[in-house]
Amino acid sequence: MIYWIAVYRANLKTAIAQMLQYRFGILIWAVWGFVGPLISLAVWTAASASRGGSISGGGTTYTQHDFAAYFLTFMVVGHLTMSWDAFEFAFRVRDGNLSPRLLKPLNPIHSDLAANIAFKLTTSAMILPAWILLFVMLRPTPPHSLGLFLLGIPAVVLAGLLRYILQYCLALFAFWTTRVEAINELYFALDSFLAGRIAPLALLPAWLAAAAYFSPFRSMGAFPVELLLGRLTGAQIASGFLFQFIWLAVALALFRVMWPAGVRQYSAVGA
Amino acid sequence: MRYLTLFKVFFQTSIQTDMEYRADFFARIVASLLGMVTTLGGLSVVFQYTNSIRGWSLAHVVVLLAVYYLLNGLIEMFIAPNMRQIMEQVRQGTLDFVLLKPVSSQFLATFRQVNIWRGVNVLLGIGLLIYSSRKLAMHIGGAQAAAFAVTLAAGLMIVYSFWLFLVTLTFWVTRIDNLEQVMWQAFEAGRYPIDIYPAWLRGGLTYVIPVAFIITVPAEALAGRGGPLQVPTAIVVGIVALALASAFWRFGLKHYTGASA
Repeated sequence: MIYWIAVYRANLKTAIAQMLQYRFGILIWAVWGFVGPLISLAVWTAASASRGGSISGGGTTYTQHDFAAYFLTFMVVGHLTMSWDAFEFAFRVRDGNLSPRLLKPLNPIHSDLAANIAFKLTTSAMILPAWILLFVMLRPTPPHSLGLFLLGIPAVVLAGLLRYILQYCLALFAFWTTRVEAINELYFALDSFLAGRIAPLALLPAWLAAAAYFSPFRSMGAFPVELLLGRLTGAQIASGFLFQFIWLAVALALFRVMWPAGVRQYSAVGA
Repeated sequence: MRYLTLFKVFFQTSIQTDMEYRADFFARIVASLLGMVTTLGGLSVVFQYTNSIRGWSLAHVVVLLAVYYLLNGLIEMFIAPNMRQIMEQVRQGTLDFVLLKPVSSQFLATFRQVNIWRGVNVLLGIGLLIYSSRKLAMHIGGAQAAAFAVTLAAGLMIVYSFWLFLVTLTFWVTRIDNLEQVMWQAFEAGRYPIDIYPAWLRGGLTYVIPVAFIITVPAEALAGRGGPLQVPTAIVVGIVALALASAFWRFGLKHYTGASA
């Protein structure tokens, strides 16, 4: 345990120093996270305006302020749980940069996770004023209760961990094929619908909402968001956490199987 | 005339290079199709609850989406590869070789390469355009087609100028490749009619990064929704943008010192 704390402390320190070196660049990447949720919010606000200010579906109602709360919360949760390794890893495999990392006595996933956390720490501090400004300007419905809001925090952490490990597994496909764009796009397409990025899950067609309920994507998106906003009952919260733990176990098992198989497959460029 | 011949040669050598990377084409077409299905699916979810958003019907939004893909493909095919290369050349100092050639440096630097596989989105855009105009039972008369062609050309001129402006900035500050991301972020917003955005954002998307002129205006011209002033305005904005960007490029060249000099 002490060993791991020391490992992550050292990795975090170098990662944060690196991030601050490229502060303008990472800030622009962080702002990308604004685009998707704000477009979704604009679309749903315009749609609900044509229906007298609110939209009902799947047993719930969303007013314009509810949409603002949903998509703004999604924006923050999306930032805190984001991961980009699927893209980065493919580059490393292709140009052989992975090789020196494999020689280190530590699985590269740890230093990458440290870089991920460093990115979120530094950029969150930078874009916090923009978040606050948006929350003030767009007047979202405030969360229903403080207790549920606090319960949402572990859900966000679990969501981030799950997305991180699942995307790392996805990244490992780069060991077998150099064309990972299509796989990434499939992940992105499923994530857009099943995590609730395009619309709150209740407003999706019933079959899609049912698929989302059992998918890992809900655990990484809509579940923590709805929990933070106080839109879930006690039973729904319990089952949501259960799904998060089940999918986290599945993702970890997948990584344990894929990593050694992939490394055996890997033949470095130039070797 | 001389420039047309040159462009033809550039085009041919680019195609020869691209033919070496055919697998790229299939991976890209799968990725682009998935992206398109996602957007269309998202639209159909919204339009289950309403018939129109801010006066735009589903079919009209799909026409807009088609124009978005068409433009995205054209930009990635003709404009982006060249602009990215100029930034790289400025950083490495190899732009000097371009400047020494006895033709217009702006022409040589910005029309040197064509990336045909990136043009997948052009095909997707055209396909979607044909499909949606059938569905709309749109009668695209000669006037509408002409207005569309002119406004599309104006849109491309604006993108070209905007990017040339950014690239010229690299003569002073060598690293601004991240600014390309800012442009794409604004472009992404043009997937949907800009009427759905709040007024301040609409202003930004019209006058700061003129996504409205680039995407919305051609789509409206095609659907016959634009006002009578729209086409002349687009032409004027396109020409002014091009003139300003070219002037800025020439001004920038005077200050260009080369990376190693």
